[in-house]
Amino acid sequence: MGKRVYIADLGIISPLGEGVAATEEALRGNCSAIAPLDLFPLLHGEPLPTGQIRGLAEQSDLPRTHRLAHNAALQAMASGNTPPDVLDAIILGNTTGGILTTETLLRNKASNKALYRYHGLHSVAEYLAQELGCHGMALTVSTACSSGAVAIAMALAMLRSGKAKTVLAGGVDSLCRLTYFGFHSLQLVDRQGCRPLDADRHGMAVAEGAAMLLLTTEKPDRPLAELLGAGLSCDAYHPAAPHPEGRGALMAMQAALADAGLTPTDIGYISLHGTGTPENDLAEAKAVNTLFAAPPPLSSIKGATGHSLAASGAIEAVVSALAVAKDFLPANTGCQNPDPALGLIPLNRPTTQPTRAVLSNSFGFGGNNGCLVIAKPDNFSPPPPGRTKTGLAIHGFSCLTGAGDTAATMALLAQGLPVAGTPDLAAISANLPPNLVRRLKRLPRLTLSLALSAHQDSGFEAKPGAVFMGTGWGALSETHDFLARLTDSGEQFPSPTDFVGSVHNGPAGQTAILFGAAGANITASGGDYSFEQALLAADLMLEEGPNTALVLGADEGHSVLSPLLDPSIAPEALLADGGGAFCLGRKTENAHCLVRVPFYQSGTAEGSITALIDALGRVQTLNSKYALLLVGIPAAVQKEGEEQLTRFLEQSGIQAPIIRYREFTGEFASASAVAAVMAASFLTSGKVPGPLVSGNDLALAANNPAILVLGLGRYLSAMEFSRP
Amino acid sequence: MNTLTAELKVKIIDILNLSDLSPENFDENDRLVGGSLGIDSIDVLEMVVMVEKDYGVVINSQEVGEKIFSSLASLAEYIKENTPGSPS
Repeated sequence: MGKRVYIADLGIISPLGEGVAATEEALRGNCSAIAPLDLFPLLHGEPLPTGQIRGLAEQSDLPRTHRLAHNAALQAMASGNTPPDVLDAIILGNTTGGILTTETLLRNKASNKALYRYHGLHSVAEYLAQELGCHGMALTVSTACSSGAVAIAMALAMLRSGKAKTVLAGGVDSLCRLTYFGFHSLQLVDRQGCRPLDADRHGMAVAEGAAMLLLTTEKPDRPLAELLGAGLSCDAYHPAAPHPEGRGALMAMQAALADAGLTPTDIGYISLHGTGTPENDLAEAKAVNTLFAAPPPLSSIKGATGHSLAASGAIEAVVSALAVAKDFLPANTGCQNPDPALGLIPLNRPTTQPTRAVLSNSFGFGGNNGCLVIAKPDNFSPPPPGRTKTGLAIHGFSCLTGAGDTAATMALLAQGLPVAGTPDLAAISANLPPNLVRRLKRLPRLTLSLALSAHQDSGFEAKPGAVFMGTGWGALSETHDFLARLTDSGEQFPSPTDFVGSVHNGPAGQTAILFGAAGANITASGGDYSFEQALLAADLMLEEGPNTALVLGADEGHSVLSPLLDPSIAPEALLADGGGAFCLGRKTENAHCLVRVPFYQSGTAEGSITALIDALGRVQTLNSKYALLLVGIPAAVQKEGEEQLTRFLEQSGIQAPIIRYREFTGEFASASAVAAVMAASFLTSGKVPGPLVSGNDLALAANNPAILVLGLGRYLSAMEFSRP
Repeated sequence: MNTLTAELKVKIIDILNLSDLSPENFDENDRLVGGSLGIDSIDVLEMVVMVEKDYGVVINSQEVGEKIFSSLASLAEYIKENTPGSPS
């Protein structure tokens, strides 16, 4: 029997109010909290209706996103059922980090890097970890409007695997100019508020909020609910529009039900994604009507809350937990005349009704879909036993660096020469279909090129079904160009193309379209550990069997934003970028090598080096186990990283040669993906080039086969590459 | 071919990055959206922004938009008819 995952506690802050009680009261009142924006001044026109949180204390220099997330996290940890020191991990969905603050800094042409330190998506989860004293994994999921649900789905997989006993998972986003003007430029905002499923609906209301679920496999005295299942899918259809028949939505709902071990008739309520855009509601309705012969009571609360993007899936998970805990079903606020074309009749008033299980839907840009099943505790069968073996088998790999493609990169490295630089965009695009990439800027082109090459290297005819991507900073060109044109045009003519391209999961969504990859599609953003987070996500989410996945890490060097945002990139430094990609699966036959991530924890916690060594194996065996260390020390944490390395070597007794890979790749967040490709390439060729280890070629003997890729600094991460 | 049509060809090739196309082989009567050029809803919105910015003509309804963007000729016609200050 597998492990049950309980919802021990909840935290929520949304336009409806702060706290679970206020949220429930507002939903019982069936009133919309959507009102004209006044969070930031506008140069033109009437403010659009938004879901803005009123009365949030404006203090400190922390961005609004961080404060919202902290508020919800403290609520979820407040009951004292679970003391913070047993919190094993935090998994947070987020799309825009501290961008509301960054927008102002950029407009004021602020050049002090320190002011931008809270820009990155990862800074929110890391801030929570610091405030809550969590030394374990702090992972950030960025799959646009499904981020919150996907974060919770990953937490479920991690808890079932036994890698964690207690995880805080949820989502957060604050209102900002990027999303406010971005969705408006797509003509997706309803000027009369938000009316999901209404015949006269005209779109969404951009909103903000945060919600957190305290999840645990240790049964609390009074669990609120059980997280019974989750399902992910990708439309692999269009960067922004849903598949018109709701293909991906249906697959995610089916996967969630199967994961929960339920049939459609077990579901007592559906919390719809229901954004209020004509296309979303129609596609979702088709999917619901396909899966459910007679759909149960259902509603979207976005007419009350607006659409808080990464937070929405978590907010709706909280509402779903309330639904089963209190037998309370919220109304579809804002819908006067249900659209007959949808064939669904949403709840027109708040309803009290015994409800054993709820399906909660979240869909996002990039066709990234995540569905959750939340049920009364212990009402259904526990999950089947989980997979105990971890690790992935690498069948193909590729990299891009300043030197060029994999062959060019390895040729320079073989001479001990650096490969740092920025590969030429035309060369990157050479193998990409022109019609597919005409709208794409640097990061999605790097990503697609890496993906194609890795798949080609695998020799597989079958296309990969899932995509896991890590990026430290996302699509900087699109983000920069959107904000620059917004400012330059006096807020009148922002580019819809750049907005769609600015989302962190855009490149992974494009990769899915290229390959028709309809399985899980997760983008992680963990600063200098983004690729490691993508690999962790893949190991958690990739099922057993013959299916293959792409795992990628890529970042672009942007002349304006990279030196401001990335603490390791000096203002006048030559930029470096690129990344690495793997085509991998569970089957080890004919694999180049195997990879696993035995460790990922805070680097500042006491005893973290000892914990790292413990995770690698018995200390007496380590020196003979590892033939080579590839060590990543970001420039911004040079001193701390070197100290960590010294302690690691002393305590572990490892005497293998060390390559500080950033000396070769240059400084960029996903340089570790290139290091991973170096490791795979050395194992495949059976030797490490002599010039890299200041001596003769290092033969990787069969009995000493492993390469360790260490990430040092704020977090400690270990990726282990070995022969099958 | 009038000046407006010629101008639109250059602008659309530029903003949509239609690198395979030149103004000479861009037929203004060909299907613009959903045709062989691969132009979709996001491109339409990008063109909406351009038309408003460069010609002061606002297109804010999808239904109208679909008709207007059916071909480059129909777009030129719509801009001509709706340019502020022009006889209509």
